[in-house]
Amino acid sequence: MDSKARNSIKKGVALSLVVTSVVLVLMMIFGVIMLLSQGNVVKISSQLFYKVMTIHGTGMIGIAALGGSAIMWYYLSKYIHLNPKVFFTNLILTLIGVLMILTAIFGFNFSDGWTFLYPLPSFSAKMYGTTGALLFLFGLLLLGVGYLIMYFYLAARLIKEYGGLGKSLGWDYIFRGKKGYGPPPAVVATTMVIIANSTGILSGATALVESIINIINPNFSFDPMVAKHLTYAFGHIFANCTIYMAVIAVYEVLSGYTGRPWKSNKAFLIPWNFSTLFTLMIYTHHLLMDFAVPRWMLIVGQIFSYANGLPVMVVTAYGALMIVFRSAVKWDFASSMMFLAMFGWVAGAVPAIIDATIVVNHVMHNTKWVPGHFHTYMGMGVVAMIFGFMYYFNKTEGTQKQSGLDNVAIFTYFVFFAGLTGSFLYAGKISTPRRWAEHLPEWTGSDQVGALCGIFIIVAALIFTTRFIIGLRNVGKKPTSEELKSVS
Amino acid sequence: MYQSIAWYATLFFVFLIALAFSFVYGESRKLREYGPIQEKGYKIRKFYFLGLVAIMGFASAISLSKLPYHNQHALAKEDGKIVDVTGMQFSWQLSDENFVAGEPIKFRVTSKDVTHGFGLYDTHMQLIAQTQAMPDYTNMVTITFDKPGTYKILCLEYCSTGHHLMIKDIVVKPKGGK
Repeated sequence: MDSKARNSIKKGVALSLVVTSVVLVLMMIFGVIMLLSQGNVVKISSQLFYKVMTIHGTGMIGIAALGGSAIMWYYLSKYIHLNPKVFFTNLILTLIGVLMILTAIFGFNFSDGWTFLYPLPSFSAKMYGTTGALLFLFGLLLLGVGYLIMYFYLAARLIKEYGGLGKSLGWDYIFRGKKGYGPPPAVVATTMVIIANSTGILSGATALVESIINIINPNFSFDPMVAKHLTYAFGHIFANCTIYMAVIAVYEVLSGYTGRPWKSNKAFLIPWNFSTLFTLMIYTHHLLMDFAVPRWMLIVGQIFSYANGLPVMVVTAYGALMIVFRSAVKWDFASSMMFLAMFGWVAGAVPAIIDATIVVNHVMHNTKWVPGHFHTYMGMGVVAMIFGFMYYFNKTEGTQKQSGLDNVAIFTYFVFFAGLTGSFLYAGKISTPRRWAEHLPEWTGSDQVGALCGIFIIVAALIFTTRFIIGLRNVGKKPTSEELKSVS
Repeated sequence: MYQSIAWYATLFFVFLIALAFSFVYGESRKLREYGPIQEKGYKIRKFYFLGLVAIMGFASAISLSKLPYHNQHALAKEDGKIVDVTGMQFSWQLSDENFVAGEPIKFRVTSKDVTHGFGLYDTHMQLIAQTQAMPDYTNMVTITFDKPGTYKILCLEYCSTGHHLMIKDIVVKPKGGK
């Protein structure tokens, strides 16, 4: 790849990471404000609470996707030629979308959450005006368009380079007995994300358009159950794909640090193919309490949600443990965060799988158990991968060195994140509903513990972010080789 | 009961995962050839994989035989009391509010406006059953209130800024009492 294009991609990656880390800290502050309010420590109005809840959810999933995309582009551009203009197009559309969403929430009182259920926006539009609802829906739509452009472009590049998405998922090795190793993990993961997330975003876009049409002309109405399927197909897949983009950094960093290549053999490729399929199938575990849904679909939701845990538990996490085992790995910020992030991902999968059990879901769905499990694999998994990559980026592209403060920050981040997710899961155990502005006295204890942990997490995230932004000054001052690596 | 199972099972499995990661971290500073490690690792992985499949298979076999949908179907054959429930921003409307302990109740749940979550809480504020309250759809959930006392219906699906106000008390009288 010519060094000009690769340098542009690096600039785009750096810019995305700055946006990701700054927005992340802001969203964490919003998260703590909600917990303080639920815990009766600092009271905010319920309307403001739900606005903060909407921006917290939208912002967090948005930055996880942006940070994950930055990781994906950084590594993929090592193997194939990529046009940086596409990356910047997505970044610009994302930023415009975010501005529209912020205006909708804080300028026009939109507060329906990021995974609202049709026809909620139409009813909110009647209460608070159509401008806020339409700004939010079009903002989300614009974000989706940005990602679709990016995924379609990446699909075209992979098809040209490998001869098809099946081949970049390793089908030649799985079905046709081709010898050797398949495409690099970065390519396999990108293919999976392209397939799953394009489907997810198209589903979400359909649900958004339904809501927009219904707001503009209420005579046009849609089936709320179909809209619900589309919404959760989008929400589930989009959230999951943030992990599958970010995990590329784990493959690259841990194999680089240990000097043990993470080869894509059959035992690697087959689970990634199953992950692609399962991720598309299992969104129905969000509808287990919709008794009108055909029963077979709900049972599929349980069984395949269990099965979806296998690739990460048996292949990715186990692979990470094997690659690190007796490797004399050099532990620094990047390797430590990647290792701990794998723990976060697997640990989060446990309560997620348990909640996908229909009889458990019957008494735990939409309690704080749900944010408990997704904060575990998002906060201690995806976000940890992004923070680890930020350090790795500054170290590889610049001259960043680890300090004692980094070690303290890593320790603080993980210990208190375990406390935060523990407080959420405990709140779920005692049946505290999620997304409630006001909490009963028996629920406030866990909110207060969560808020306290959240404050320490913010301190750690501030250290990571400040160190990253300061370290960016030295990026580009280290000569690097720009040769493309082998594509298979 | 299921809440406690979920909690302790999570603690147990996360503890095991933490142990595995700690062990590998402890061994990470040593250096050995990767080939033999891979060979042994793949052997162990086969048992690990089969173990996980066995646990998941066992959990599926046990849990899928007790689906709330089954319960609903079975009780529909008995002459349980039928109560129509309608959710709306931001209250619950019940067709009948007289409940007696020990009597099976079939709630037919729907919504007048947006999607709500019909969550039934017992006298100790433990969630005992739920289903979604959706416009254009009716979901049925059956429950037998074992003890007299004040139960509650809480909205469990975010439905706009008055979501947390959707609480309704259900007073269950003792059998034969007034």
